[in-house]
Amino acid sequence: MTPSGSLLHAGGLYKAYGATPALDGAEFSIHPGEVVAVLGPSGSGKSTLLHCLAGIIQPDRGTVRYGDHDLTAMTDAERSALRRGDFGFVFQFGQLVPELTCLENVALPMRLAGTARKAAEAHAREWLERLEVDPVAGRRPGEVSGGQGQRVAVARALATRPRVIFADEPTGALDSLNGERVMGLLTEAARATRAAVVLVTHETRVAAYSDREVVVRDGKVREAVTTG
Amino acid sequence: MTRPPHHRPAPPHGPAVWLRDLGMGLRFAAAGGREGWTRTLLTAVGVGLGVLLLLGAASVPHLMEGRQERAMARQILNGDDPPRASERTVIAMDADTTYHDQRVFGLRLYPEGKRAPLPPGVTAYPRPGTMAVSPALRDLLASPDGALLRERLPYVITGTIADPGLVGPKELAYYLTSDVPLKTEDGFRLTHFGADAFGDQPMSPTLLMLIFIACVVLLMPVAVFIATAIRFGGDRRDRRLAALRLVGADVATTRRIAAGEALFGALCGLALGTALFLLCRTYAGSVTLWDINAFPSDVTPLPALAALIAVAVPVAALAVTLFTLRGVAIEPLGVVRGRTARRRRLWWRLPLLVGGPAILLVSGPLDPRERGVGAYPAAVGAALTLCGVTAVLPWVIEAVVGRLGRGPVAWQLAVRRLQLSGGTAARAVSGICVAVAGALALQLLVSALQSDFVTRTGQDSGRAQMTVSLPESTGAALRRAADRVATTEGVRTAHTLVGATVARSGPLRKGEKFAPGASVIVGDCAALREVAQTGACHDGDAFLATRGGLAVDAATIREVARPGGKVLLNADGDTGKPLGTPRLWTVPPGTREIAARKDPTGQTSLGILATPGALDLTRLQDPSARVLIRTDPAVPDGEEHIRNAAAALGPDASASTVRDTESDAQFASVHTGLLLGSTVTMALVAAGLLVTTVEQLRERRRLLSVLVAFGTRRSTLAWSVLWQTAVPIVLGLALAVAAGLGLGAGLLRSAGKAAYDWSAIWPLPLAAGLLVLLVTVLSLPSLWRLMRPDGLRTE
Repeated sequence: MTPSGSLLHAGGLYKAYGATPALDGAEFSIHPGEVVAVLGPSGSGKSTLLHCLAGIIQPDRGTVRYGDHDLTAMTDAERSALRRGDFGFVFQFGQLVPELTCLENVALPMRLAGTARKAAEAHAREWLERLEVDPVAGRRPGEVSGGQGQRVAVARALATRPRVIFADEPTGALDSLNGERVMGLLTEAARATRAAVVLVTHETRVAAYSDREVVVRDGKVREAVTTG
Repeated sequence: MTRPPHHRPAPPHGPAVWLRDLGMGLRFAAAGGREGWTRTLLTAVGVGLGVLLLLGAASVPHLMEGRQERAMARQILNGDDPPRASERTVIAMDADTTYHDQRVFGLRLYPEGKRAPLPPGVTAYPRPGTMAVSPALRDLLASPDGALLRERLPYVITGTIADPGLVGPKELAYYLTSDVPLKTEDGFRLTHFGADAFGDQPMSPTLLMLIFIACVVLLMPVAVFIATAIRFGGDRRDRRLAALRLVGADVATTRRIAAGEALFGALCGLALGTALFLLCRTYAGSVTLWDINAFPSDVTPLPALAALIAVAVPVAALAVTLFTLRGVAIEPLGVVRGRTARRRRLWWRLPLLVGGPAILLVSGPLDPRERGVGAYPAAVGAALTLCGVTAVLPWVIEAVVGRLGRGPVAWQLAVRRLQLSGGTAARAVSGICVAVAGALALQLLVSALQSDFVTRTGQDSGRAQMTVSLPESTGAALRRAADRVATTEGVRTAHTLVGATVARSGPLRKGEKFAPGASVIVGDCAALREVAQTGACHDGDAFLATRGGLAVDAATIREVARPGGKVLLNADGDTGKPLGTPRLWTVPPGTREIAARKDPTGQTSLGILATPGALDLTRLQDPSARVLIRTDPAVPDGEEHIRNAAAALGPDASASTVRDTESDAQFASVHTGLLLGSTVTMALVAAGLLVTTVEQLRERRRLLSVLVAFGTRRSTLAWSVLWQTAVPIVLGLALAVAAGLGLGAGLLRSAGKAAYDWSAIWPLPLAAGLLVLLVTVLSLPSLWRLMRPDGLRTE
């Protein structure tokens, strides 16, 4: 079980690439509906922490608990299933499948989870409308602007109604105006669905959208300032 | 802070601009970091494999020439005027044998003086009764596998045949010095070894056409593959060029820089291919393909062809890059592919495809008098058709995948990918499609020509599988020898036919210079049934086989042997007079005339047929014998036991296999070359397809990582990769089959043939399909690796 009330909890995480430790005894936890910004300089291990929390990579030591599940004890197939159903992802760039239309991209995780195509696409259309990108539903990612593409990615992350959203530098490739719009929509929609958001960023203005900030330094996670 | 100079130097122009930009491209490619080097390595591996094959093909003329020269240098032939015995002569006798279907070259030699000529590859004759052997034969005889051959060649080895005496390094060969004088009737008296090559024997126009087509068919996939390899990493390169546009490079400059980058990959490929060629050349001797193995020194490309390859590959890299960049607008803020916006046009592609067969149909059948000339339209037609396959394939893929419906996620991912970049998919499979189309046409041609170049020997392997010939001896000795053969392990049944010549008895008649003769064959009823339709037969019977041959022979037989009359058994072969006291035999009065039939070796023997009870074979003059053998398939190495038994009977006894068909030597050699070339080309195509697939996966590394991150099953991605390869390959193979049949029809018309051998068609697409499946399976480890989360890292 996770510590009282937390949805996702990591303890004593250690992960090294070669001889260099990216995480060295990192602790982290997040509650339902909470938005936590993970800050830190380049190479500090922010993305590694996110990948360990999401079960994308396995830590060398330590545990990651999600509800009753211990991610570090699960098989790859079980973690994949968890990511399909309970987690959503937004990355900096290159995340949309270039061959699929924006609508199909948003419907993709639902289809992977077994939802019928028509139902998945109908639901995807609702999310595109909610994120104000329904006019580009039939276009391919290469034919839309960076801001629109990122909002499509947010729609895709939210469409499965995940309990945790992992966002790795979601506005890194956007101008400030588009970045703020994307962050506003992401956090608003997450709070509305009581989804927790793990937000990796190095921008303080992006971190301002979070309820809590933590800093990764020397492979350890330290509490920063509580903003909310 | 320094100010920029007011007077800038004039920018370079003309060739200097080209050199500058190509040089810049080379530098970008060479200094591209790990990513750049991986791309260059993939291109170099692709181009290198192609160069390896091209250099191999360029070595074929030298290879064949070297083999033929050495084979001719050990020929034992003399002209119309054989030399007299002297210090400088040797009697040489062919002593080839076969072991486990492999030819063992052998010469039995008897030097008649100290200055007798030496056969190639040795510096002295082995001592009498000993032999010099090739290294491969030495190894075989020393190994357990050679136990049966050791029985046949039980001689002490006292020397080694060096390379000049061998066709290839793996050849089994021996020179045996006879310890008893050889008779000139059994071999040749020589003053030197070797004969002029039969190279001036003209090749038939159809065979020439076959060779031309084979060159086109085998080398086109290589060219296609090299062109594909040069385009590896094109998307990423275009993005990099866009960045150059941002800092002021014009369109022409970016294209020249791109050409320079491609040039670097091609030059690396050229170097890698040359290094691989030199490496493979070193090991050429240890590999045998289709019975061909070669000395490293034989695998030497013709200088002119090697120079052409060295120039053509880099030039092709430049040309392909500049050609492909035509449809791409590299702008400062990104890359626009003009090609995706507009549909591919069929009007210029289709004429290429149908033009090839059309040329062949219009040019009509080959004229046997026009040696070589008629083969040119065939080669041009084939090249055009195969180019047409590469041109039409992207259009077919675009047209078909555009209409494909929705399906499971894996299918959707694959189809959408194909819809967006059908050209990439077409490039990936075009090599294999060209190979299949060409091979199909070639296969149709070869199977149609086979009947012209593979002749029926008239032998019947259903009635006997081997024959042993026993040389002239006494009847008693032949009987003993035949009994030994008959009781050899592996013999199921053996029929012995002892033959001799007899003559009419009595004085010469008016006008006769010698007494007419006829052949006599003595054998039991079962043996005689193999050569004639005896009907009822009992020991003591005799027959006159007069029907089934020439009437004049029948008349002679009737004149020599009348039932109840006498024939002379010990007649001189030239004069018909008795050798010593006349030995007469009375033809049994009830002797019937019967029809001869072809024996299992295809011979028809008219003459007197007698059972041992009618004619005691010990009374025959200089008889010889043949033993017709049915082998026991249950006995392993039965044939080898029989050959050993024959060899033990003396150098003149020989065992041979009954063969229903025989191939024309030139056709067999071209056919072998074709099989060799096809094997190597298919290996290259498979390797190339694997490299192309991995390169395409690598381009999508980040996307694969993202898809896995949000929970996509690995099996879904694997199926998607399979569909992405399977859909174009199915379309490509359908096109290849159509093009191959069209080209095949044209080639058959040129060769003056009409019939299709449909059974020749299906194995090729099937093999190609299996090849693709294999390549996809082999690319899965790369897919798993590229799905790792490393691809998500952006820092």
